[in-house]
Amino acid sequence: MEAKKEKENIRGRFATIRFFMKGSVRFFLCSVIFVCLLVVFELVNPKVIGWTVDFVTGDMSRMPQFLKDLVERLGGRSWCIEHLWVFSLIVAGIAVIGAVCRYAFRMFNGTMAETLVKRMRDTVYDQVIHLPFKWHDDNRTGDIIQRATSDVDMVRNFISEQLTSVFRMVILLVLALSMMASINGWLTLAAAAFIPVIIGYSLIFHRKIGSAFEKADTEEGKLSAIAQENISGLRVVRAFGRERYERERFEGKNETYTKLWVRTMQLLSIFWITNDIIGGFQMVTVLGLGAHLAVAGAISAGEYVSFIAYNGMLIWPVRQLGRVISEMSKAGVSIDRLRYILDSKREEDAQGAVDFPDSTDIDFEKVSFSYGEGEVLKGLDLHIKAGQTIGILGGTGTGKSTMAALLDGLYELPKENGCIKVGGIDIRSIKKHELRKNIGLMLQEPYLFSRTLEENITIAAPKSTHADVEAASKGASLDTAIERFNEGYKTPVGERGVTLSGGQKQRTAIARTLIRKTPVMIFDDSLSAVDAQTDAKIRAGLAQAGQGVTVILISHRITTLMNADRIFVIEDGRVAEEGSHEELLALGGRYRRIYDLQSAFTEDEGEVAHE
Amino acid sequence: MSNEEKLPKLKLFGLPALLPFILKYRVMFIRMIALGALVSVFDSVYPLFNRYAIDHFVGEKTLDTLPIFIGLMVLGILLQGFFNYINVRDCARMELFINRDLRNNAFNHLQTVSLSYFNQNNVGYIHARVMSDSGKIGEMVAWNIMDIVWFGSYIFFSVIVMFTVNVRLALIVVAILPVAILLIALFQRKLTHLNRQVREENSKITAAINEGISGVRSIKTLAIEERMSGEFFEKTAGMRRLSIRTAHYGALFAAVVTLLSSFALCVVLWRGGSLTAAAVVEVGTLSVFMSYALNMLDPIQNIVGSIAHMISIQVNIERYLKLMETTGEVTDRPDVIEKYGDAFNEKRENWEKLIGDIEFKDVSFHYPDGEEMVLEHFNLKVPAGTNVAIVGETGAGKSTLINLVCRFYEPTDGVVLIDGRDSRDRSLSWLHANIGYVLQTPHLFSGTIRDNLKYGNPDATDEQIMEALHAVSAGGLLEKLDKGLDTETGEGGDFLSTGEKQLLSIARALLADPRILILDEATSSIDTQTERCIQDAIKTVIKDRTSFVIAHRLSTIVNADVILLVSAGRIVERGTHAQLMKARGEYFRLYTRQYEDLLADSSAGI
Repeated sequence: MEAKKEKENIRGRFATIRFFMKGSVRFFLCSVIFVCLLVVFELVNPKVIGWTVDFVTGDMSRMPQFLKDLVERLGGRSWCIEHLWVFSLIVAGIAVIGAVCRYAFRMFNGTMAETLVKRMRDTVYDQVIHLPFKWHDDNRTGDIIQRATSDVDMVRNFISEQLTSVFRMVILLVLALSMMASINGWLTLAAAAFIPVIIGYSLIFHRKIGSAFEKADTEEGKLSAIAQENISGLRVVRAFGRERYERERFEGKNETYTKLWVRTMQLLSIFWITNDIIGGFQMVTVLGLGAHLAVAGAISAGEYVSFIAYNGMLIWPVRQLGRVISEMSKAGVSIDRLRYILDSKREEDAQGAVDFPDSTDIDFEKVSFSYGEGEVLKGLDLHIKAGQTIGILGGTGTGKSTMAALLDGLYELPKENGCIKVGGIDIRSIKKHELRKNIGLMLQEPYLFSRTLEENITIAAPKSTHADVEAASKGASLDTAIERFNEGYKTPVGERGVTLSGGQKQRTAIARTLIRKTPVMIFDDSLSAVDAQTDAKIRAGLAQAGQGVTVILISHRITTLMNADRIFVIEDGRVAEEGSHEELLALGGRYRRIYDLQSAFTEDEGEVAHE
Repeated sequence: MSNEEKLPKLKLFGLPALLPFILKYRVMFIRMIALGALVSVFDSVYPLFNRYAIDHFVGEKTLDTLPIFIGLMVLGILLQGFFNYINVRDCARMELFINRDLRNNAFNHLQTVSLSYFNQNNVGYIHARVMSDSGKIGEMVAWNIMDIVWFGSYIFFSVIVMFTVNVRLALIVVAILPVAILLIALFQRKLTHLNRQVREENSKITAAINEGISGVRSIKTLAIEERMSGEFFEKTAGMRRLSIRTAHYGALFAAVVTLLSSFALCVVLWRGGSLTAAAVVEVGTLSVFMSYALNMLDPIQNIVGSIAHMISIQVNIERYLKLMETTGEVTDRPDVIEKYGDAFNEKRENWEKLIGDIEFKDVSFHYPDGEEMVLEHFNLKVPAGTNVAIVGETGAGKSTLINLVCRFYEPTDGVVLIDGRDSRDRSLSWLHANIGYVLQTPHLFSGTIRDNLKYGNPDATDEQIMEALHAVSAGGLLEKLDKGLDTETGEGGDFLSTGEKQLLSIARALLADPRILILDEATSSIDTQTERCIQDAIKTVIKDRTSFVIAHRLSTIVNADVILLVSAGRIVERGTHAQLMKARGEYFRLYTRQYEDLLADSSAGI
């Protein structure tokens, strides 16, 4: 059972790699071909060196027949020695071809890596912004960002660095060993005997060091968090006079962190040095045994030289192999983390979904909804006529925002939980994109993008003119603020709009919603950060711009809503009261109570104010 | 970003400025350099063993000295391994210790830097100075210097060995060195430049990913997924082009370098081959030169790469030094430190009791980063126990007085008297030990609730903590949490709601039992019940203390002993609520305009 699951997992990983590598496979194949050619040319050198040595020493007995023939045809050994530069040129020619191969390999490999990383980033980004709200609620932003950045880099490095180098190493090992074997079997066996030792040792070590690295990383995270908190909470630290405590805390953690790394580096250096020593012994073995064989006449001086050179080429890939294998499991984890994103289900329109209807009557019919545990909406019934301005009043957690989100199709309303209709059509059968294009919902916490004010305002209405932008800004009472900026509409707002005040941010988002000129507009607590005067101005602007548009204002402040055509008081997931401001006051229920509560102060203090 | 990347010119890679840090480990540092040079000598000598094996054993067909030969080699390998181990260990420790010291220094220095530094630089920037600059500098001091020593000494000794073996062949190999250095340096320059561009481009993409994911809800409600994806694809396409260009240069670099060493090999084969055939040199010598020809370029490449890296670290060194040069504009006088101690060594036995009379006497003030006077000849007496409310629009400069009371800044002119004495006559720690501070956005530290509450009073017992919690009617909060006081608050108090955090930060201030309380009321709307709790808590906590409240809530304002109205950075009106209303000035206008808002906040929810 376990094994089967494991197998499926591995199959899934390969499928994901295949998917990502679409478009870069040819570059990958080319880079593998050239890396193999490169290895072949690298392996020619020691052979040529060996022949040259035998040639100049005159011991040509162990040279291949074709070479001997060639030398004869060229005019014998003496001619050749006088014209040694010819052979030099041949070596140079081989070097040039080798260099071309090296260039081609790196170029193809680089192109492959960049194509791959582009495809990975594009796919993940596109997928993430198409995943539903629910998914984003369930997954932490920081974690998703990490997947889209460091996990992507991890996979890219694995494929472009590790995977191609595996090919290179294996080819190098096989070819070098066979070259060596062609010189002398016993000597090769002695040299190769060390290989499993080095690979095995490296494998075990990298497995072990992995957890040490992880621990050190966690410690670094903790240390970093202390610094972060200290800097952002600086006033608290200072005001409570806890500098010494902070210092001790930081220094203590820093010490733990440093000690952990010292230990890890110690392990690492032991590993490196042990490897060096094993490699050294291997070399001594080859030198000694080789000398023995050479003296016995089993190999020539040239062969001895080239054997030593081949042996030198073995050590590096053998050492790397252990590391690559242990990296493989890390890359596997990253692939799984990306696969989780790719396998998540995007929003989908129902079969035969229709466009947004012409009428914008809105009906909530017995709508119940819960995000997980605890129902937020409990059989909500609410009817809105097209073109009306609606106020929705309710405290925190009464389900006001949920209503807006459901109307915009941001959460899936289960079949048995009632339905929401726009123009008489169940929104489940309206194309989601159309729905959102026609319902301008301004979220409670709108996000501004790191571009200019104008670009932010027009982001969802790319075809609008500058006059449109000005009109929308005026409607949102943003125009006067913009005039005060040096760069006016071209002012960059910074990441998340950091350069703007809370009220300015909110008003920018209102302008962004207004400019879309959607038949339905929803403002979810959108005026909380602006002062009462601006609030009134914006509402007046809305009334004007909103001719024939259905406007839904959500707030817990009565002044924001009281001019609406119709007001719904939401309590505990249901409509508790509805009517116009006057009707609701006359009703003498909750609305009245809230009104009295909010104006109790008004009368009380108002007397002073109006005396 | 591009501004920051401009490379400063520091003498000797900025090493002199780092000398104090290095000197602390001078023995280790010297050993590191000496052993590094020594270990590479082994590497440059190994080819001689090959030469001996070829010339003696193979050439003369004898095995007479083989045991000694092997013994020597094994000894060499073991010795080198031993030295190498010590060297790598030293190097790693050097890096880690310097990193640790730099971090501690920066962190401790931050605790004394003036508040204005924190207002001028964002958290991320300061954080990077402490955490990442120190790491990069440590790495440079250890590994880069080590690489240069190691490979430099390899080249040096190899050249010596070559010249002792055969001058003519040595000249051939050495002749390629200048060409190689020039070529490598040129390529390295181009690559460093390109790599910087790639990094910049990459950080833009990371920012775009960040924005796409954190702004996903707005993207979806605005129905602009396709547009955002399209823009992202363009960015990644640009990145791909740039990276491939960089790969092209990298590939060319690698190819040219190997080509160069192959050419050196060719020349050695040609000239050396002739010499060998003519029996001028032995075969072993030829093989030695061949291996030097092939191995000489790697070290050069490494040295040039290290130097390039050291140059790029200059930025980090400069930024780090700049932080360390930033002085605290607010510091205690030496005689004050003498008597009262500093932040890290308090002399509590000399501390007087603080009563809480505060007086601004002819105070003028402007912020260090601004020219305009925000206070001019300002006088205000705040007897102990007085409650001062500071009112005004956002950005009007309400924090100024608080900054002066807390001595986060000092008056440009005039004095702030505390209990009748210049506040500079006593130490910062003394003052701060008597101040409680509740921030507008409550700041909690990661740790348990107990840790957080004890922040202002490390000696508080659990009973005292519970008492404080009940006093601010946050006792109910604990019952909600399964682990009580041991519940983790998460980083920045993430696991708690805003209202809960506010209550806890008030309890924290109460537990510290300060004589002076500073309170910056929160504006964010929270549910009615918590809101009421908070208002009650505020009433409890300001009782019998000198308090300064940046007030937004009507009840807080109206009940204050003194109201100060701040506009455009200046205090324009002062008095009690009744006096100010009567005056029909700014306060009256602000009040009548905003009272609805204030009310709405205080009765949010149902």
